[in-house]
Amino acid sequence: MSHMHENAMTRGESHHTRCVPALALALSVALVLVATLALLPVSALAMTTNKATARPNEDGGSGVIGAMDTRLTWEGTVGDDEEVSSITLSLPEGATFDHASTRITVLDGLNRTSIDGTATSSGNSVDVQFSEGIPAGSLVRLEITNMQFPADGGDYVVSGGYTTADGQSHVLDDSAAITVIANTPLQAAVSWLDAQPWVAAWNSNPFLGMFFKPQLLLTSFASLFPGWLVCLGIVLACYPFAIVLGLAFAMLKTSRHKVLRAIAICYINLLRGTPLFLQIYIMFFGLPMVGINIDNNVLGVIVMAVNSSAYLAEIFRAGIQSIPQGQYEAAASLGMNGFQTMTSIILPQTVRRVIPTVTSDFITSYKDTSLLSSVGVMELMMFSKNLTTTTGNITPYMAAAIYYLIVTLPLIKVVGIIENNIARSERGGGPRPKRRAVAGASQQASKAEEELTASAEVSHVEAAKPAADVFAALSAPFVSHPTVDLGGVADGE
Amino acid sequence: MKNSMSRRQFILAAGALAGSAVLAGCGGSSTSSSSTSTSTDSSSSSASASDDSYTLVKDGTLTVVAELGFAPFEYMNDQTGDPEGFDVDVINAVAEKMGLQCEYLPNQKFDTLVPLIKQGGKADVSIAAITITDVREESVDFSEPYLDSNQAIVAIKGSTETEATLNDASKQVVCQGGTTGNDWITENLPNATCVPVDDVTAALTGVQTGLYNAMVVDLPVAKYMLTNSFSDLDIIEEIATGEQYGIAISKDNPNLTKAVNKALEDMKSDGTMDSIETKWFGSTI
Amino acid sequence: MASKHRHSHGDVPVVPDALSAEEAANLAFASDQTLTKHHFTEGEHPIVRIEHLNKSFDETKVLRDVNLDVWPGEVVVVLGPSGSGKSTMLRCINLLETPTAGHILIEDQEITGQSKTDVNKLRREVGMVFQSFNLFPHLTAKQNVMIGQTKVLKRSKEDAEAEAMKQLTAVGLADRADFKPPQLSGGQQQRVAIARAVAMHPNVLLFDEPTSALDPELVRGVLDVIRDLAENSGMTMIVVTHEMDFAREVADRVVFMEDGVVVEQGVPEKVFDHPENARTAEFLGSIG
Repeated sequence: MSHMHENAMTRGESHHTRCVPALALALSVALVLVATLALLPVSALAMTTNKATARPNEDGGSGVIGAMDTRLTWEGTVGDDEEVSSITLSLPEGATFDHASTRITVLDGLNRTSIDGTATSSGNSVDVQFSEGIPAGSLVRLEITNMQFPADGGDYVVSGGYTTADGQSHVLDDSAAITVIANTPLQAAVSWLDAQPWVAAWNSNPFLGMFFKPQLLLTSFASLFPGWLVCLGIVLACYPFAIVLGLAFAMLKTSRHKVLRAIAICYINLLRGTPLFLQIYIMFFGLPMVGINIDNNVLGVIVMAVNSSAYLAEIFRAGIQSIPQGQYEAAASLGMNGFQTMTSIILPQTVRRVIPTVTSDFITSYKDTSLLSSVGVMELMMFSKNLTTTTGNITPYMAAAIYYLIVTLPLIKVVGIIENNIARSERGGGPRPKRRAVAGASQQASKAEEELTASAEVSHVEAAKPAADVFAALSAPFVSHPTVDLGGVADGE
Repeated sequence: MKNSMSRRQFILAAGALAGSAVLAGCGGSSTSSSSTSTSTDSSSSSASASDDSYTLVKDGTLTVVAELGFAPFEYMNDQTGDPEGFDVDVINAVAEKMGLQCEYLPNQKFDTLVPLIKQGGKADVSIAAITITDVREESVDFSEPYLDSNQAIVAIKGSTETEATLNDASKQVVCQGGTTGNDWITENLPNATCVPVDDVTAALTGVQTGLYNAMVVDLPVAKYMLTNSFSDLDIIEEIATGEQYGIAISKDNPNLTKAVNKALEDMKSDGTMDSIETKWFGSTI
Repeated sequence: MASKHRHSHGDVPVVPDALSAEEAANLAFASDQTLTKHHFTEGEHPIVRIEHLNKSFDETKVLRDVNLDVWPGEVVVVLGPSGSGKSTMLRCINLLETPTAGHILIEDQEITGQSKTDVNKLRREVGMVFQSFNLFPHLTAKQNVMIGQTKVLKRSKEDAEAEAMKQLTAVGLADRADFKPPQLSGGQQQRVAIARAVAMHPNVLLFDEPTSALDPELVRGVLDVIRDLAENSGMTMIVVTHEMDFAREVADRVVFMEDGVVVEQGVPEKVFDHPENARTAEFLGSIG
């Protein structure tokens, strides 16, 4: 390939410069040789292009979007026998370096050489004149900020040339391609917002601009979405396990066997007595140390499940113990064994009583997935933290808050509704079944009706009261994990 | 309820991680008796034009904020809990030149430093091995660069990873959130998963335990941490970025930037900078 | 007080072994002949035998050497002031309380000191109606009556449902079959509880103050149901109550307890009209 090229060039030259001395011919051959050899990465004879990269400008994403400001970083190494005085970089038609600013870094090995320069941009190329020649072997990095790639997506290479101190121009080899994606509808919407006067006015308020920047809110929603799914996925995956584990430990804790009780108490107290943050650290750094390597998300599910199970165990235990002794006696008097009593009498009632508290615990667990960001699980807080870091704006956190609220607010509402329903049904309200048409029961029915209206409220004041107390105890700490005193109150039954 | 509060409180505590919640003075070299040597600066500036005056959060004191987990630049002394390091000595000397006391705020996460200075009101300057970048310059002003630096890729000893192999969807590369290492990963290893964490120790521990494949961090920090704490890790690649550290100062306080620059210039010319560099790096840089 | 007890010997009173079935039956027949309206048949054995029953809670002695025999189909009403040990005695019969000492035999089978499985089997034979109803609040009236049948007796759902409707009809609550307990009045709840117990077809049915938790106007309906059972079902019933009129009308025998001891027993007319014991007279006087 290089030979053919060389031959073609040589032939071309020889056509036009038939009378030129053989020495000149040899020189030009040598020059072309140098130029072609430069294509080989190991060559140090002429300036090489090491790489060209573009800073991702997709908010929260990793894509480089065309027609939007980004930063092009070009890196090259000066050849062994030359001194470079200027570099020109070019991108295909559509790219623009207008309004761009260029930062020059010259390094000798790891040491910075203080060389300055001026950059002149014109359309799709930029020309950098250095204040002094860049010595041979130096690494040159040009960071061109606020340039734009063409609006159409595609793979673009940075081409260009340089001049050496002796005034000769050379061609730079092309960089590896930079993949640019076309402008997205989202970015189009952002651009539209950018142009709105009310947005500018809004953002000029320091607080609003810092916390609720409309453009950023929009892009944050889009880019936080995967993190939100991870949060939801983790909490939804962990919760069934947490419930099963919690129920198991609630059973152990109410067991008659001392050892089983002790195991349950240790488990529950250790987990409730230490911060989830600590548990996450121990699991994420400890397990790999003992040679157990589990996928981050799976590990996240495990930690959340184990942590939640301790709280659920206490909720279930309190719920079970809040069921009046009379229920056990009634079941026993029918001849039910312990297992039957538990599964068909006690647990169904417990479930109804603990639903609000369990839902609250679910809300807490959902919010606590945020702690997993500290160990690199790519969840909501992780995404918003990254976004805040790159933008220096708090708005992504506000978007995260909205993502949390989307889930928690309806659940909080649901907890309220369930609480009301349970309270009402324990007071004797609640939906009544349709009157059954039973032959021969009509006279009894009218009598029953009379009884009901005469005394329903009166006779139930007493019965409903303890139930209401238990219920209040169970639901009081519903904004968070319930505490042990719940059990104490419930024991009063 | 108590319990869940403690969960939340821990998160708060985690924010101010290393626990020293007290304001820490800048250590032995800070001085109040520097008025004579620096009075010329301040008096001349205030005499020449009142425009030259700058505002301080606390009168007579240069309030500094940093992420104190970035040895050898800034870290907390194990025993005293006081900030120590190259940057600490630099800012102490700067304060001394300006005739000010120097006071550190409690430890802050790195990615909050620039926003905190931008917001103003809490700290006057932040010196925390902050590389001067265009993006950061949109938010804050920087002093003249006071040190050049580079990046490093750190992996477990004997690792066969290279920049090329790390650029793969199966790889997790950790960094401290908001650092130039963070930027470097997203731009140069677009296929890998970039995992920004809050502190360097957590990141390196993660590399050590195999949780992450590699870490990208400032070269001097990598060298220091590997020598002192993580002997089973190795620098697999030095990335010549030639980035430069600057002191971050609010854009609303341009005269403070001028004064700091003046102090830095004086330190360079009178050899203070060289002696600090020698103290921390064994030679001038 | 405990020291006065003639059987007290340390914490646990020492009682003689249970009598043999034959011996017990003969002795019981001899003593009970005049005490009950029960129509004895040839070679009949008491269905429930309580011998030297003692029960204490911690230091408090609640039952002291209680002896009582109940005959098949007999309706025994137990009277006595609060804290006299009536309810405790009743709860000992289906082992909701474990006796401290003494013997309880159901159909000549000793139930004290037996293993748990047998306890559950025993309890199928001995139904109980509680003072506070103890219906399962998460189940409808019908399901309350069905659950024992399906879980314990392993009856099919259809059979259990048919039986449940039959029993609910019997207590006049067929139209409330799909109501849940909190939607029913106290009287209705207690009638469902009775249906629940009866649906198991126990040999002995225990009533622990079934009307004490009810408002006065609801008592009658419940007593009517019990009376109906007493007169028509032929089931053995032990009823602890304060309802004197009910006792007089329905009981084959009235047992008066005080301070953990059976003070007096006999046919209602005799105990009510000519009490032998001064305490009985005083109690009946205060009630009447």
